[in-house]
Amino acid sequence: MDKIRRVLDWAGITPLGGLTLLLLILIPWVPPFNKEYLIRWLVMGVLVGAQAIAFDFTSGYINIVNFGFCAFFGLGAYTSAVLAVRLGVSPWIGMFIGILPAALLGFLTGILTLRLRGIIAACMAWFVGLALMGITTKWVKLTEGPLSLSCPTLLKTTSNLPYLYIILAMMLVVYIVLKWVVRSPMGLAFKAIGQNMEAARTSGINPVRYRIINFTVSCAFAGWLGGFYAHYYGVLMPDVMLTTKTVEVLVVVTIGGRGSLWGGLFAAIPFVYGTELVRSFFSKYPGINLVLYGFFLLMVMIYYPGGIARVYQKTLGQSKNRVVRWLTGRDNPSLRI
Amino acid sequence: MGLIHRFKSMLYSTFANIRSAAGITITLTIIIAILGAVDKGSYIIVNTIVTGGMWALMAMGLALLFGVMNVANFAHGEFFMVGALAAYFIMTFSGQYVAAHPGTWVAGAAPFLGIFGATIAGSLFGAVCEVLVFRQLRKRSREQWVMNVFILTLGISVILANGHQLLFGTGYKGIVKYLDLPSISIFQTLISSDRIFVFLLGMVAIIVFWLFMKFSKTGRAIRAVSQDETGALMVGIDLNRIQILTLAISSALAAFSGASLLFMFPAYPTMGMAPLYNSWFVVIVVGMGNVGAAVIGGFIVALFQILTTVYFGEGWGFVVPSALIILILVVKPSGIFGSSVRGVLEQ
Repeated sequence: MDKIRRVLDWAGITPLGGLTLLLLILIPWVPPFNKEYLIRWLVMGVLVGAQAIAFDFTSGYINIVNFGFCAFFGLGAYTSAVLAVRLGVSPWIGMFIGILPAALLGFLTGILTLRLRGIIAACMAWFVGLALMGITTKWVKLTEGPLSLSCPTLLKTTSNLPYLYIILAMMLVVYIVLKWVVRSPMGLAFKAIGQNMEAARTSGINPVRYRIINFTVSCAFAGWLGGFYAHYYGVLMPDVMLTTKTVEVLVVVTIGGRGSLWGGLFAAIPFVYGTELVRSFFSKYPGINLVLYGFFLLMVMIYYPGGIARVYQKTLGQSKNRVVRWLTGRDNPSLRI
Repeated sequence: MGLIHRFKSMLYSTFANIRSAAGITITLTIIIAILGAVDKGSYIIVNTIVTGGMWALMAMGLALLFGVMNVANFAHGEFFMVGALAAYFIMTFSGQYVAAHPGTWVAGAAPFLGIFGATIAGSLFGAVCEVLVFRQLRKRSREQWVMNVFILTLGISVILANGHQLLFGTGYKGIVKYLDLPSISIFQTLISSDRIFVFLLGMVAIIVFWLFMKFSKTGRAIRAVSQDETGALMVGIDLNRIQILTLAISSALAAFSGASLLFMFPAYPTMGMAPLYNSWFVVIVVGMGNVGAAVIGGFIVALFQILTTVYFGEGWGFVVPSALIILILVVKPSGIFGSSVRGVLEQ
């Protein structure tokens, strides 16, 4: 028991977070939720959540919206898929190789544009994403373009359950690594740059260098998750790089709370469930779920800028109840959240 | 004696201006356009001028909004869509009316009704966005304004695009033509009267806008706000009014372009994407906030789009302009025509 606590503390997961994780692991075995399509939705939800964690690392900490995020995601996906299809590389290895082009492109975009204002960097990431989508669509010899690329899946089974555990593990890795960075002096530098660049500079932080590091790491994780996406669905189209996909991640991150890594994950699962439910029940009204999420985004940005994470902080995080304090890890100094 | 001296100095200063980045770009563009036309046919110049005019209008609206209110508008393409949709409905409705009552004045005035009605609809949308969305955020918090407002405009764009899909479906809503006049032949190219009509209207719009901004009291108030908000407040300019007006003008310009191009691009829910990134190309290339240069930039970007399509094929429309912008930003981060882009050290 104590050992579990120490592992959770090292990972930066509060008891409440640990319980939620346990819920996610066990819920596919509980009867109403063990239908294949529900597990599939859960996999998609956790995938979007993992993307949200990586996205929030940039948007919540150095306050740059990586508007080409899904292009890096798609780059990792296509690299892994093309390697598997054209060169016979195993998907498990391909996923990791997919990190390299994504990180490299992120690094190049970073050094070119992160010297400038945040909005220009966001626009440039967007243009890079658009250009990447264009190249993917036109380079049919390599990527099959809009005809869609079929690639081998990670496992031979058609059940979604193993994939759920794989993506949960991947999400955990992303969260733990990024949480560790955020709790380190580098994370402090990121927060300083995001809040007040002048003060950060006076403290001796080189803003450009830290921005580039942050951006590259975020894009690298995007590429890794893209590899999972390619070998989970088995079919890849350039549509995966659409700006609307980035907007989905952005909506989820904003509603969940920018600056808290877990907020996006918490908002992603209902988001995906909601989208799919609306799609099946309200198919007469296409697009209504996105209109609703647009409204949610506006409401959250204007009236509740901290999102769900801030609501959590204000209610549970400041409670005097001893059980709640233990659950949220407030009395635990080694948690350092 | 003094006259000759003045003339000489004017000549020198013009020469010096031409040698600046702006001058070089303009000269290069004209040369490339002429070379392209000689190589592939004069429709390159015609298309550049018509599309360029529209991108110029859209980019003007975007630059105005950023310069005055520091709002990076990602819903600009959706205002374009609103204009196109409004024009479609007005034209369809007036078409039915004309069919029911033949010989009315509506038949001749329909194009004007369509375009102006769409412009007014667009400006109303813009004003509503300002009052309901931007003003609410401004009242509550101004920190990290640019990024936060950027996300807000994303939300607006999602709502508008999907609202269109919800209310009117995903089908293409277009009209065949605005005017019933025959095509005119200029320099051995057949240009449809619609394009000439729309181009002339666009030029009139630009000239009216310029006169308004330079000589009218409200125009000068807007320029004052874009220079220094606190200073404008101190001289008694009503900031609320100016903000609504700026958003109304910006979205009116976008809606005008959308309505004008309806005969070329029919309206559908996601049509706002292409005008959006085109106007953002222009604004970043010429320097953010620079309204006057946005006009010229519109033509430059239109030329590059057309040349890319002609020489490289349809799908490279993103790649070449993006590469170009990256190059320009590396060499001259404040854009070709310059603006007060601050580096990373002043966010």
